[in-house]
Amino acid sequence: MRNKHTSRGSLVQRLTLAPYSVWASFFIIVPLIFVAYYAFTDSEFNFTFENITRFFTATSSVTENGVDKEVHTYLVIFGRSLKLAVISTIICLIMGYPIAYIISRASARAQKIMITLIMIPMWMNFLIRTYAWMTILQDTGILNGILESLGLRPVHIIGTEAAVVIGMVYDYFPYMILPIYSVMAKMDIRLIEAARDLGCNSVGVLRRVIWPLSLPGVISGINMVLIPSISTFYISQKLGNGMFYLIGDAIEGQYIANNLHFAAAIAFILMVILLVCMALLQRATSRKTAV
Amino acid sequence: MKTASKIYTGIIMLFLFAPIIILLIFSFNEAKSLSVYSGFSLNWYKELFKDAETLNAVRNTLVLAVSASLISTVMGTAAAVGINKLRNKYLRMTLDTVTNIPMINPDIITGISLMLMFVFVGRLFGAATSLSFWTMLIAHITFCLPYVILQVLPKLQQMDSSLPEAAMDLGCTPLRAFFKVEVPEIMPGIVTGLIMAFTLSLDDFVISYFTSGNGFETLPIRIYNMTKKTVTPKMYALATIIFFVILALLILNNLVDDEAVAKSAKTKAAAKKEHSRTRKIAVGIIGGVLAVGCVFILVFSGSRTLELNVYNWGEYISDGSDDSLDTVKAFEEWYEETYGQKVKVNYSTYASNEDMYAKLSSGAVSFDLVIPSDYMIARMLNEDMLLPLDFDNIPNYKYISEDFRGLYYDPDDIYTVPYTYGVIGIMYNANVVDEADATGWELLWNEKYAGDILQFNNSRDAFATAQYKLDLDINSTDHANWDRALEELKAQRPLVKSYVMDEIYNMMESGEAAIAAYYAGDYFTMVDAQAEDVDLRFYYPDHTNYFVDAMCIPSCCQNKELAEIFINYMLSPEPAIANAEYIYYACPNSAVYEDEGYMEDLGEEAIAILYPEMESFRELYNKYAYRNLDNETLSYINTLWETLKIG
Repeated sequence: MRNKHTSRGSLVQRLTLAPYSVWASFFIIVPLIFVAYYAFTDSEFNFTFENITRFFTATSSVTENGVDKEVHTYLVIFGRSLKLAVISTIICLIMGYPIAYIISRASARAQKIMITLIMIPMWMNFLIRTYAWMTILQDTGILNGILESLGLRPVHIIGTEAAVVIGMVYDYFPYMILPIYSVMAKMDIRLIEAARDLGCNSVGVLRRVIWPLSLPGVISGINMVLIPSISTFYISQKLGNGMFYLIGDAIEGQYIANNLHFAAAIAFILMVILLVCMALLQRATSRKTAV
Repeated sequence: MKTASKIYTGIIMLFLFAPIIILLIFSFNEAKSLSVYSGFSLNWYKELFKDAETLNAVRNTLVLAVSASLISTVMGTAAAVGINKLRNKYLRMTLDTVTNIPMINPDIITGISLMLMFVFVGRLFGAATSLSFWTMLIAHITFCLPYVILQVLPKLQQMDSSLPEAAMDLGCTPLRAFFKVEVPEIMPGIVTGLIMAFTLSLDDFVISYFTSGNGFETLPIRIYNMTKKTVTPKMYALATIIFFVILALLILNNLVDDEAVAKSAKTKAAAKKEHSRTRKIAVGIIGGVLAVGCVFILVFSGSRTLELNVYNWGEYISDGSDDSLDTVKAFEEWYEETYGQKVKVNYSTYASNEDMYAKLSSGAVSFDLVIPSDYMIARMLNEDMLLPLDFDNIPNYKYISEDFRGLYYDPDDIYTVPYTYGVIGIMYNANVVDEADATGWELLWNEKYAGDILQFNNSRDAFATAQYKLDLDINSTDHANWDRALEELKAQRPLVKSYVMDEIYNMMESGEAAIAAYYAGDYFTMVDAQAEDVDLRFYYPDHTNYFVDAMCIPSCCQNKELAEIFINYMLSPEPAIANAEYIYYACPNSAVYEDEGYMEDLGEEAIAILYPEMESFRELYNKYAYRNLDNETLSYINTLWETLKIG
């Protein structure tokens, strides 16, 4: 009897897996090969390293505090993207972790309502949401209107890196809360009680019980915020007032300039760097949780 | 602690909903401003329902999201079942890794990778167009699949695997066991996966941006391309409607759930019944959505009427808003009356000449009619991308003024029919800027107004402002010329508030910025919407840009005669006047500028600015219009532009 089932099973298995396997190879794997192919060829499709070396060696002169100096164009752009994305991710984590905890400890009904509330902004169009932030943050915007009516000094945010960070935090915030929450909601409350009974104070409980158990959620939250914010181009265009380029702008700019091969090269390098980062992060945390 | 966490939750919710509240409020704003509230009105909702193109984009977005989420849910669930049964460790690891790729990769890479492949394959098979609804559908299914699998797989792992076996032992066929036993167990995962896929597809901009084809524009892309004019509160009205629809659905969903929970608490038997009932409801909902989706797709692909694919700048045609003529619809009706055959115009928009060129030259899309600017026409002609027109089909060409014939980009008038022309001028807020300072290009470099100045966020136009100021040749291939212009732009950078295209409307209207160079036609749009304490004025500097945008037929055209009939229609007096009144650009069509009613409506000030008296348009145009530059120079300019932007 058993054998009969497994043989039936393997037929089912083949039938169920086949469409996805075909799909995934054609539309996930092959396109990535095309990125590499374009990245390593020139416009005549001859093999070249030029696109890759251009990313690492292209320089431009900038004036900083009255001093002219040469900087590596794309490395500076990449560095800035990384910096803003990391800052946004950290802010999301600091803001999101407590709220995920609060929600996970609320009543079942309250949990449902709060999670729904957090997800609602995700259904509103991302471009319109960002545009709304523009009208809030600009110099004659709504925020400064409120500050003025309170008798406070207006602030200049739009067009600065801070505005871009606010946009990134806002747009990707739910992606940080949801995975942390879903891990915390499944957490066994008795573990916390046990730790308390054994004399652990609140800080100890947080550090030794809650934090390690929530780590998988935190990692997936970091993934889900860091990756889109490192590659965004709309947020930097609108909230950054077009004052500076991020790596996403550089890719889009090369695409618009019809320079597909260099656009592919930037995308390829970005992809490799991110994959390495994610692998390291994964390894570091899996070791930690093992201990 | 309790109050602390309540306050904290409150603050977070305020942060999450602040922009949404603002968007709700301003959707009811009487004026066009997105930052100054002037009174309650439902105007923008009325405008929204008159805007056929936007409603069409909403429909497209829904069709795409429904189809993509349904297909990815079915395929993803099947895949999860297969993966779950997989005993081969390596095969399983490979599949897990592949599934993770679209989630780890930034959207921009997923988008570019698919675009490169579609374009390459399209070229290989010599297809006229490689991007279409179908490529976009493939892209959306691809990025939705992993989310479905990752929702369903854990549910399968939690399920007792002896359940389906028991069912089979009791005589169920595997298929029946799957649908009767497994599916109900994993239904919550499937539903969550479906909802996630739908949400992701609905909101996706980046991947759609790279894979969208002709004639199929989704809402995010339409919003992105609205760069010729601003994002109006119309879009806020749309967002508000979406918000309330979602809210209603969520509340309904919660009510059904709560009821089920409450009832099931009563008796176990009832609970079981209830359980099977919710299951049936869930299956019913999915089945319903599926049916709707199929109908949508049938309707969508079943249209066999004549089609015309038009590709134009965003907001560059009279589209029925503000009680204007809906040109596209009027053409469709006129065509059916005249020729007795239905025609469907697929109207898509682009944000810049370069954007349009990138899409067309990659072979990614195919259009029957495009409206680029002069220098881009020269480039396209250079690369054999345009077809000669058959002027027998365009008798209304007679209305085109002599001044606009035989211009450099098309010296023998073979390929183009002028659509609009214009001059770039400088506008300023007279309440901030001294009248005495308002001369020449120097105003854009005046340190007195640091932080109030706007500059173009597009390399060609931005460099040109510096070149006109320095009296340099804007069409030079000499690197030193462009280097000097870059120095000038770098010197200007600390004074610049923002590099803008469409944001200029909002910023000038609200008084956020005080000085900007822009197209004369758009100046009037801004004056119409300026805030109370803003007083916009306009002047032309000595040297400035003269441009002509013209209708032409790209070589990928599928129905040339129809495109020519459309061009001819656009030139005929009634639509041409309605169009000129709506877009505010000067028109080279004598049926328009010789029309007394039109001129009266414009008023003297507008006539003076839109149709400035000049000795010879042709002479100024030949001197100051952009020419096509070679690839080497363009690439060099792009590099310089990046240098300016990293500063």
